[in-house]
Amino acid sequence: MRPDTATVDRFLSHAGVSDVEIDSASMLGVVCRVAPAQTKQMLCALKGEGDGFDFLVDLFGIDTGEAVDVVYHLRSFSRDEEIYVKVALPYGADLASVWEIHPAALMPERECAEMFGLTLSGHPNPKHLLLTKGSRPALLKSERIRTAEEVRDR
Amino acid sequence: MSPLLIVVLRVLAAVGLLLLNGVVLIYMLRKVLGRLHLRLGPTELGPAGMFQTMADVVKLLTKEDATPGSVDRVLYFLAPAIVFVPSLAAYAAIPFSNKIVAADLDMGLLFTFAILSLMPLGIFAAGWASYNKWSLLGSMRSIAQQVSYEVPLLLAALPPVMIAGSMNLGDIVRAQHGSVWFIIPCLPAFVFFLIAGLIESNQTPFDLSEAESELVAGFATEYSSMKFGLLFLSEFSNVFIFAALMVTLFLGGWSLPFVDPGLLAGIGAPIIFLVKTYLVIFVFMWIRGTLPRVRIDQLLAIGWKFLLPATLLWIVITGVAIKTGQGLFGGGS
Amino acid sequence: MTDPRHLAGHAGWLTPNPPHQVDFVPTSLTRAPTGVDTFDTERMVLNMGPQHPSTHGVLRLLIEMDGEEVVAAEAVAGYLHRGIEKLAEHRRYNAVGTLMDRGDYMSGIHNELAFALAAEKLMEVEVPRRAQWLRVLMSEINRIASHLVWYGTFGLDTGAMGQFLYAVRDREVLLDILEDVTGQRMMFNYVRPGGVVADITTSAVDKIQAFLATIDMYLDEHDALLGGNEIFQARTRGIGVLDKETATAFGLTGANLRASGLGFDVRRDRPYAAYDEMRFSVPVAEEGDCYARYLVRMGELRQAVAMVRQCIDGLPEGEHTAKVAKVLRPPAGEAYAAVESPRGELGVHLVSDGTEHPYRMRYRPPALYALQAAEAILPGTMIADVVVILGSVDVVLGEIDR
Repeated sequence: MRPDTATVDRFLSHAGVSDVEIDSASMLGVVCRVAPAQTKQMLCALKGEGDGFDFLVDLFGIDTGEAVDVVYHLRSFSRDEEIYVKVALPYGADLASVWEIHPAALMPERECAEMFGLTLSGHPNPKHLLLTKGSRPALLKSERIRTAEEVRDR
Repeated sequence: MSPLLIVVLRVLAAVGLLLLNGVVLIYMLRKVLGRLHLRLGPTELGPAGMFQTMADVVKLLTKEDATPGSVDRVLYFLAPAIVFVPSLAAYAAIPFSNKIVAADLDMGLLFTFAILSLMPLGIFAAGWASYNKWSLLGSMRSIAQQVSYEVPLLLAALPPVMIAGSMNLGDIVRAQHGSVWFIIPCLPAFVFFLIAGLIESNQTPFDLSEAESELVAGFATEYSSMKFGLLFLSEFSNVFIFAALMVTLFLGGWSLPFVDPGLLAGIGAPIIFLVKTYLVIFVFMWIRGTLPRVRIDQLLAIGWKFLLPATLLWIVITGVAIKTGQGLFGGGS
Repeated sequence: MTDPRHLAGHAGWLTPNPPHQVDFVPTSLTRAPTGVDTFDTERMVLNMGPQHPSTHGVLRLLIEMDGEEVVAAEAVAGYLHRGIEKLAEHRRYNAVGTLMDRGDYMSGIHNELAFALAAEKLMEVEVPRRAQWLRVLMSEINRIASHLVWYGTFGLDTGAMGQFLYAVRDREVLLDILEDVTGQRMMFNYVRPGGVVADITTSAVDKIQAFLATIDMYLDEHDALLGGNEIFQARTRGIGVLDKETATAFGLTGANLRASGLGFDVRRDRPYAAYDEMRFSVPVAEEGDCYARYLVRMGELRQAVAMVRQCIDGLPEGEHTAKVAKVLRPPAGEAYAAVESPRGELGVHLVSDGTEHPYRMRYRPPALYALQAAEAILPGTMIADVVVILGSVDVVLGEIDR
């Protein structure tokens, strides 16, 4: 379920990834926070060689008010453990695709990019997934939706 | 009344009856499939919903005849006719009784197959002219399957011909009067003919040219109104012809076992023939309501790798059996 | 895609972006695409959907074809996008259930349950035992209903017609039961944070008993009608093979993953509600083809029936909901809760900022991952296999598009 910090450290030191902020007190589980430039390296390190976190459960964004937190939810079936990697991207920044490490990211990345107004780089098919081309990034907190009253009084 | 008028009236009556036959078949399909699917089928119009199909014909006739903008107009209009006319003409050689046969041809069987082999032409024309990819795929499949199955179909029909010693469909039935129905000595040939017939008449599990879960409606996708109606009717007419051929070749035509043919003269014989044909059609529909569809490469593999050698082998066996045991099957020559 | 000319049809509609071609070659192509091109043939781009009988809703597939064979394929989603995740940020916690129902409309109970579990994790509510059992009971009834629809439409995809109506006959009984308990046939809003909204009725218990009396026989019948058919087996065996590596790489979950040989089931490995008290086995198959997925789902149907039986026999007494406030204000934090929906692991990642509205609600759609896995194995198959593969991974567009 929840890996102990030593395990995570072992994975990271094995691949030589540093500057990782590990929060294992969160209700969510173990959450690692890395700089955007280190995302791929981090995911590679955690993927390990056959025994690591090689299953991408989910990829999505959270608008924290200061930046877009992209969350990579990883799982290891062999260890039966889960881990979260969070990357804070400034608004309108570039989301580097990780599909070469986790092909499962192909579609969620497209969704995340369009929903939070990020540009997608390194992706084989960087089109919109759900929204029409040219739509506003719907899940940003700055995008308001009409209240029921507004719709009624339209 | 002038002889010409009589001829015209007869032709009109015959065509009318054939169209009515198609309408009845569609009604039957709806009822049979309905029952197989725990439904009721049509119930509202007329007793047991009997007039529903007539109402549908009226609907199809009065519907807007929409023609897509980019079709090949000549072929598009011609295609339903090319499909529909052979399906009517093929009735000509089928003996409904000893006397009721439009054209008592010596080569009746060959004539029927020759007429029916025109159908892929019409289907291909429909698919090509529609300027629609689904139609094109459907018609391509249709060509592939109908061309490759005409050979086993004809070969499967040969053993009864060899035993009866004639290609006249009436003679084949008369040969079965004297002995047994040819389904007994030629059971494998009957099964081969059933498979090939299902394929040639585009029935499930071989309805690849209009496979609705893959190709929307296949070659008929762009057709509407009565042009679609004609394509639809010709399919049912085809089913009837193959069932009738099966009855004629293998199931004793208008005769019944242990009944003197003389007793059945007049109205009895055609009724027996129709009942038998409709029973075979019921089996077709039963299969249609139950089985999944095969894939095109599997279909062609069945045809070339199994059906063709098997029918050829059965012809050899039949030939040897006839030669070694002259008279074993009664009508052997 | 070297030569984007078209054999027939309007050449202009293909989007300027070339169809999605991934360099990643899945390890499980059933056949290599034929490269024989001795006479001048052209490839054709086929637009399948969003109005196509076999795309299970409003999926659109762009398929580049060489004759009947698929060379490249791209799935285009989004025709059913309603912005559920955005809308949830503007609703109170108790009202999000109605949105969740409309995600995967085939299994509303599971969606609501995932959200309720996430909210309960944040609030640290103790849910009464009876409520947990009722959740399991309703989940499994919903699972049977959903799998029956899958069974029916999968048969339709392979060309069989009859068994669909037999499956719908059984599903009708289940929808009646669900209506009896929840008041709704599909959009239940039954599971709320803290418990369930209503206790089971005596008439529903009677209906479930009557259903249980016949369902085993009917399941045998379904299995014989479709799975026992030679043509069906010829159409599904060895088709659409997703081996273990491909399946995990593309994030498959649920029955699709178990058909590829990895027996992960959220109900067993991350027990929620009362699943730790249930006795059930997890069907696993190794082949990873469409037939394996069929077998696994049919096995799941039987397990679900067994669990419904256990729930009816052993339903504990007690309250059907915990005492929770009318307006929920979970403390700030993040929680992830997952349920095993008929389509796989349906997760809800909930972020709370302490107000009465969720700050962010992420709905993990298992069908989205199934869709991209299916998309990746389409090249090399035939057009008839495309619909079978899509049917076998069981995509529901309401969930993919949200």
